[in-house]
Amino acid sequence: MQDAKVKGMIFNVQKFSVHDGAGIRTLVFFKGCPLRCRWCSNPESQLFTPERAFNPSRCLTAEVCGRCSKACPTGAMSVVEGLNFYDRSKCTGCGACVKACPTSAQSFYGYESSVEDIIRKVEEDDVFYARSRGGITLSGGEALAQPEFALALLREARHHRISTTIETCGCYPTEVLAEACTLLDQLIFDIKTLDEEKHKKFTGRDNRQILKNINYVFEHFPKLPILIRTPVVPGFNDTEEEIMAIRRMIPFRPNIQYEALTYHRMGQPKYGYIGRPYLLEGVTADEAFMKRLNQKLAAYQG
Amino acid sequence: MSQCCACLSPQEDRVINKKVDRAGRERVYKILERNQFTIPHVDVERAKYFTESMKTTEGELLTLRWAKALKNVAEKITVYITPDQLLAGRVGQLGRYGILYPEIDGDFYREVLGELDHRAKSPFQISDADKKIVMEEIAPYWEGKTYHEHLNKVIPAEIRGVTYDDERGLKSKFVVSETSSYRSALQWVPDYEKVLKRGFIDIQNEARERLDALDLTNSVDLWEKKPFYEAMIIVCDAIMIWARRHAELARRLAAEEKDPVRREELLEIGKVCERVPAYPATSFREAMQCQWFVQMFSRIEQKASAIISNGRMDQYLYPYYKKDIEEGRMTRVQARELLECMWVDMAQFIDLYINPTGNEFQEGYAHWEAVTIGGQTPDGEDATNDLSYLFLESKREFPLNYPDLAARIHSRTPERFMYEVALTVKDGSGFPKLINDEEVVFLNTVKGVPVNEALDYAVSGCTETRHPNRDTYTSGCVYINFASALEMVMHNGRMMHYGDEVIGLETGDPCSFKTWEEFYEAYKKQHLNLLRKAFQQQHIVDRLRPMHFAAPLSSVLHNLCMENALDLHTEKIPGGVDFSYFEFLGYATVTDSLAAIKKLVFEEKKLTMKEVLDAINADFVGYEPVQKMLMSAPRYGNNDPYADSIAKDIDRFTQVEAERSSRDRGIHVDVRYVPITSHVPFGNVICATPNGRKAWTALSDGSSASQGADENGPTADLLSNYHTKNYGMINRASRLLNVKLSPKSVAGEEGTRKVMDIIRTWCDLKLWHLQFNVVNRATLEAAQKDPNSYRNLLVRIAGYSAYFCDLSRDLQNDVIARTEHENV
Repeated sequence: MQDAKVKGMIFNVQKFSVHDGAGIRTLVFFKGCPLRCRWCSNPESQLFTPERAFNPSRCLTAEVCGRCSKACPTGAMSVVEGLNFYDRSKCTGCGACVKACPTSAQSFYGYESSVEDIIRKVEEDDVFYARSRGGITLSGGEALAQPEFALALLREARHHRISTTIETCGCYPTEVLAEACTLLDQLIFDIKTLDEEKHKKFTGRDNRQILKNINYVFEHFPKLPILIRTPVVPGFNDTEEEIMAIRRMIPFRPNIQYEALTYHRMGQPKYGYIGRPYLLEGVTADEAFMKRLNQKLAAYQG
Repeated sequence: MSQCCACLSPQEDRVINKKVDRAGRERVYKILERNQFTIPHVDVERAKYFTESMKTTEGELLTLRWAKALKNVAEKITVYITPDQLLAGRVGQLGRYGILYPEIDGDFYREVLGELDHRAKSPFQISDADKKIVMEEIAPYWEGKTYHEHLNKVIPAEIRGVTYDDERGLKSKFVVSETSSYRSALQWVPDYEKVLKRGFIDIQNEARERLDALDLTNSVDLWEKKPFYEAMIIVCDAIMIWARRHAELARRLAAEEKDPVRREELLEIGKVCERVPAYPATSFREAMQCQWFVQMFSRIEQKASAIISNGRMDQYLYPYYKKDIEEGRMTRVQARELLECMWVDMAQFIDLYINPTGNEFQEGYAHWEAVTIGGQTPDGEDATNDLSYLFLESKREFPLNYPDLAARIHSRTPERFMYEVALTVKDGSGFPKLINDEEVVFLNTVKGVPVNEALDYAVSGCTETRHPNRDTYTSGCVYINFASALEMVMHNGRMMHYGDEVIGLETGDPCSFKTWEEFYEAYKKQHLNLLRKAFQQQHIVDRLRPMHFAAPLSSVLHNLCMENALDLHTEKIPGGVDFSYFEFLGYATVTDSLAAIKKLVFEEKKLTMKEVLDAINADFVGYEPVQKMLMSAPRYGNNDPYADSIAKDIDRFTQVEAERSSRDRGIHVDVRYVPITSHVPFGNVICATPNGRKAWTALSDGSSASQGADENGPTADLLSNYHTKNYGMINRASRLLNVKLSPKSVAGEEGTRKVMDIIRTWCDLKLWHLQFNVVNRATLEAAQKDPNSYRNLLVRIAGYSAYFCDLSRDLQNDVIARTEHENV
């Protein structure tokens, strides 16, 4: 199939992204991820299928509005003691409530989109890329968990002279990453911990394939600009030893950067919208520790 | 996304953590802090001596009367030297002050003076003795003679109905508002460079030579040109007399001064004031003093809207700066101190609006004495120099809201200048605003300004441009509330605020419209009706003003006025280019409302017109779902072609009508999107609108998106602006665009780079104007709760920076409601 026509699942296209690669970029969020990180700030990205979400803070209440429960054919949306009540088990995902809702309190995370539709959207900001050397960043979810779609998008972006970047967890077959690296201007790759057991416990998968993949890239794409990132999560990997161990396994080369990300809870409300518990309730970042850590990282000389 | 306040802009850091670095700035902080937040005084002397002279000259040529009146003021007004100052020349008592221009609105001083000190917006205090002077010596003379009364008398009933809300023309209707009766002229930039290079003795000699060359057997020469040149000679005397009185005062103060350091300073002030502005300036210090005298005397001359601007300061001052630095006569730090001495005396002159309407338009002691930096030279080279950087440095390190700073940007603006502009923007006080040479020079050239002069434009007032020897249009221009046109479609020519009065056209019951085209046609009719009334109103204003206002100082500095022996306020001056404009209020409010109706009522049929009408009539109370549906329709500011194509079409048919009026009147009539602060009072008369906006709240501001509607980041803001401009038409002028960024989104070197990238792209897109607010929402909310702790917090409101705590609650809420662009 022509690259432009390939379709896949995404859940958002976000303009003016300034923290995800060089310049002013547009982020394309892919839906579906092989990992289940406990700290995930995009829980709506994990499943490969569209998900129904309900955001009560946008809801006008059943008393004022009530359009969703009237529209629902299966009784999944109903009014219980004056409040809108959503029973996920009865929901067939028909979307009647989403169409009826005036405030987007009822919504779907995830929709199918074609490469050409995404490129068209991304190109709206090309005048900004020209000045800032920005472009497209594939994010997610895990873009390369939909390999045919993601690679088609990268090829098409190249064809349109749009700079390409990906943020990836690295957990998929090596051939996929190798192919992607031939199409990328920058690779942003997560290494969460070097401890196999702990990785499995906190993300659902061990890190063998991930480490194998990044080492493959280090070896076979020695000139590719790479940014390795580690989310520093309290109670998981927030020790100097652990982070420095990651830093040491990364080759010290001018085209490879490393960044320790401060834990944040921006994603917490979304857990509620899709009816899942937030596993790191009450956890906060230790700013002083992060400051010390960043100083140490800045001083690292290989 | 939740707000995160961990990252503060430098301004927030200074205000919140009370960090002020006074090192090397003891003098200016001392002057500033003596009266920074006092309630300004009214100083009546200018009005008193102006009136005293005008009483004795009736029947003479107006320009000559004005010159004589200015000379009377120059001879008699109290002269001051602000303690610790290095520059002399204020036109009122110590502390913050404003002065009166009774020729504009002296007829209602008696009734409004008493309220000045306790009015809610921008109050002033006045002593009982001064009140007596106003009541007995000033006001009685002007009653029956002011411009404002004349306009009120002659304005025809059909135009009056959209203009005023009372018999006497004091209260605006906020539908088609004239702004000519609260100011004697539009913003203006005198040719400072001419005075620096030649001095007033030489300029006066030119007037004498022109006078001598007249043929007095010719009646035009005898009755019009002769008194004109006499006026030119007198006004040169007036400013030189005023300057010399400062020299005398300085020497007198020096004789009494005990501190030897200050004594020397005063003696130096005396020497400088003895020389300028009579003779050409020979040093940076003299150039600064000369500029300041010209600027302050221009303020005595007339109430130019939003104050006389400062012109291209980094250009005309540079030769003096360079010479003094090279010859070791002055250090960079001393130059900076002189600049900042000017800023702190500037901060004490407050533009006083007696007229309640004027006060609504320019809230928060508004001022736009624009200092222009950067840009290009008259032959198209980049003009940036070391002084350009010194202005930016001063703004970052001494972040006062004076002066208003404007940076001209063009396609070859050096990276360093761009970098320092971005750094200054990131400081968070809203400076500098940016004006785009790639749009302005092109447009002004097409409209008739010689290209070398077009390249040398100065930013003037809020976002306008001036060519000091080419521009000749000075009438205050009309503001049109197009949200009212929309309301009149919904209410068959009426406005809820004004009850049953038919203000617009009776276009019928909106529920009877079968198609979108019918609805849109009704809107167009209402829109064009207001537009035509506005043009008719402005024509009356243009004819009337020269009978009431003259400007001999501005005229003696203008080549075309001198060549033609015509006052700058003359209706037509040969060789001049007349840039008139009209203000479009509610661009995004109207666009979003029309888009919502088109989509939800006519295309998707999710709502009926009746439901929309009932909802807006109830101000959405009980109709919250309808309100939310309306707000979910495509909105301007998101680079959404659905909304943007409507906005572009409105701009197009507005320009078609403006082009017709331009031909009729022989001037340029251009649409402008710059509300100052007036989108708040204009919104106060508009009921709920079909974009979900609540009744009586602010309209959208300038060409910015509706408050909170731009959800797709600043790139979409800029692109919507771009896609709604009709680049193939020329009846257009400035578009004001506010973009708010959180400090976090532009943190660090990487963030500075992003700001530079946004600015470069904005330049590529040929948008006219851009300004940034880099401030956290949480900081603004905290300032609302505890104003005393946040007195220093500056925010950008439509073309200028004001202290947040000086603004009314309405406007504060408006600033807070603007979307803060942040991606984490």
